[in-house]
Amino acid sequence: MPSAARHDKLLFFSLVPSAVTLLGMLAAVIVVVLNGSWRSIADFGLDLFSKSVWIPGAERYGLLGPLIGSITSSLIAVAVSLLLSLSFSIFASDILRGRARDLASSLVELMGGMPTVIYALWAAQYLAPALRDFLMAPLHGYLGFIPLFSEEPVTGYSVFTAGVAMGVATVPYVSFLMTEAYSILPSTYREACLGIGASRLETAKILLSLCRPALLASLLLGLARAMGETTIAAMTVGNSMKVTACIIASGYTVPALVASQFGDASLYVYSESALYAASLVILSAALALSFVGLSLLSRWRSRILV
Amino acid sequence: MSRARSLKDKLFVFAVAAGFLLAVAPLFHLAVVVFERGIPALVESGLGFFTDGPPSPLSTEVGGIAPAISGSLILLALSLPIVVLIALFASLLTLEFPGNPVSKAVDVAARSFASVPTIVVSMAVYSLVVVPAGRFSALAGAVALVMVSLPYAYTSFSTALRSIPSTYREAAYFIAMKRWTALIRVVIPMAKKQMASGVLMTMARIVGETAAIMFVVGRFRAGIQVLPDQPVDAIPLLIFDYALAPYPVFHKVAWGAALVLLLSYAAVFVATKMLVREVKL
Repeated sequence: MPSAARHDKLLFFSLVPSAVTLLGMLAAVIVVVLNGSWRSIADFGLDLFSKSVWIPGAERYGLLGPLIGSITSSLIAVAVSLLLSLSFSIFASDILRGRARDLASSLVELMGGMPTVIYALWAAQYLAPALRDFLMAPLHGYLGFIPLFSEEPVTGYSVFTAGVAMGVATVPYVSFLMTEAYSILPSTYREACLGIGASRLETAKILLSLCRPALLASLLLGLARAMGETTIAAMTVGNSMKVTACIIASGYTVPALVASQFGDASLYVYSESALYAASLVILSAALALSFVGLSLLSRWRSRILV
Repeated sequence: MSRARSLKDKLFVFAVAAGFLLAVAPLFHLAVVVFERGIPALVESGLGFFTDGPPSPLSTEVGGIAPAISGSLILLALSLPIVVLIALFASLLTLEFPGNPVSKAVDVAARSFASVPTIVVSMAVYSLVVVPAGRFSALAGAVALVMVSLPYAYTSFSTALRSIPSTYREAAYFIAMKRWTALIRVVIPMAKKQMASGVLMTMARIVGETAAIMFVVGRFRAGIQVLPDQPVDAIPLLIFDYALAPYPVFHKVAWGAALVLLLSYAAVFVATKMLVREVKL
């Protein structure tokens, strides 16, 4: 019979292969992206990121448009999901009670696991026309002199539409994180608020100020998720390489560019590599954002749960 | 409360309630719309929707999505066991040896994996598997699906295992159980139902994933194909392609497929909820 220490060691080594597989897969993805993007970055240099062209036939590539589109649309998405998720979390944890609260948390869970392609289909055929008629057209009509709204929304597919649609799709994720943060606050704070006779608004203000780092972390994680969102962006962003200050004009995001161009990329010399370079930017941004978000969250948690 | 203060409070509650409704409204509208547009497609082709191939662009008949359904099932069958095994062992490792550098690395890697855009995984698997193998295949799709669903399975298993109070494990050690025996006989059985719901949610994720398999499975739509080394199709991929196609009949098929996908997701979700409710009792 092996000794206890040897038994432990055996157990450890029998579990290591799966761990190595997991680490290896992440490393493989990063290595492939680095390796794939190296060629175009070396040969095109800064032009790859400062111009906005996609003409594979002439081997001319520039990723500025999709990069700007990615940043703008995911910022819009985060703004949308901040508004909705914050209200959701406050309403679900402070105002709803018992059954209704369980139902609300089930609903958000149901939304969170929903295949994004269904969101994409809905956004492309219902959200985009609705936004065009009720929001983008009036904005263009009355505020068209501002560069942000300078172009007439014809199809409804735009960076703004993609941002709103991705925001709607990230609401469940951000809501989940925010509700969790809001509900793990020690109940003494809530009781203290009750004790001084604070109104619901004042209570919410005080409690929210306590979980500010966690809220920021939820937003960063939501941003990371929105940046990598593919199906929704590809179906609502309008697919145009033009760089413009107008957010209601059609644009591109990096995942949308990859989704529409990677299939034919192997026919050209630099196409694949340029797409890898674009996704390298998105990948590093997403990894960095989620790293900062997760460490903020864990630091906050260890501080608040004394 | 002064009048101004109570008015402010009421306004606040109103605003928060409005935001809440706005946050959940898309779910209801989406469900209504998917039924409204999906049912006609299903009614028009009846059972054929599950047994026939998709229509040609100018055909008047709706046809079916049989290749996509069979493809999705094959991809699920290939990837789910691998995901469950790797996630289970990895979560056992981080549970049993929390201070070990390997465990720490696994924990960080699993969490970073969750933020890797799924389309990037698809590109990487294309270069790693499809190019060397010389063809698109269900296996390549399974590799991509394993990568994107691992973090979810790992997180849900870890949460389930960690929810078992350590007193039970200590009791098991006390009656001379080895670590492994304690895991198999005490910890895993206690966390069984929560882990099963984790498996179900992972399953839902695998079936609903679009971007991860975009460049690797080959979108084979000419018939039902069951070999793992041959190209296949998947329901989300078909919805994505057909929704972007300019033909009305393709849009119809896309909505029908979306209804099928939504219903199967809802079924899995309800099953998950029922499992977890039993745990609470």
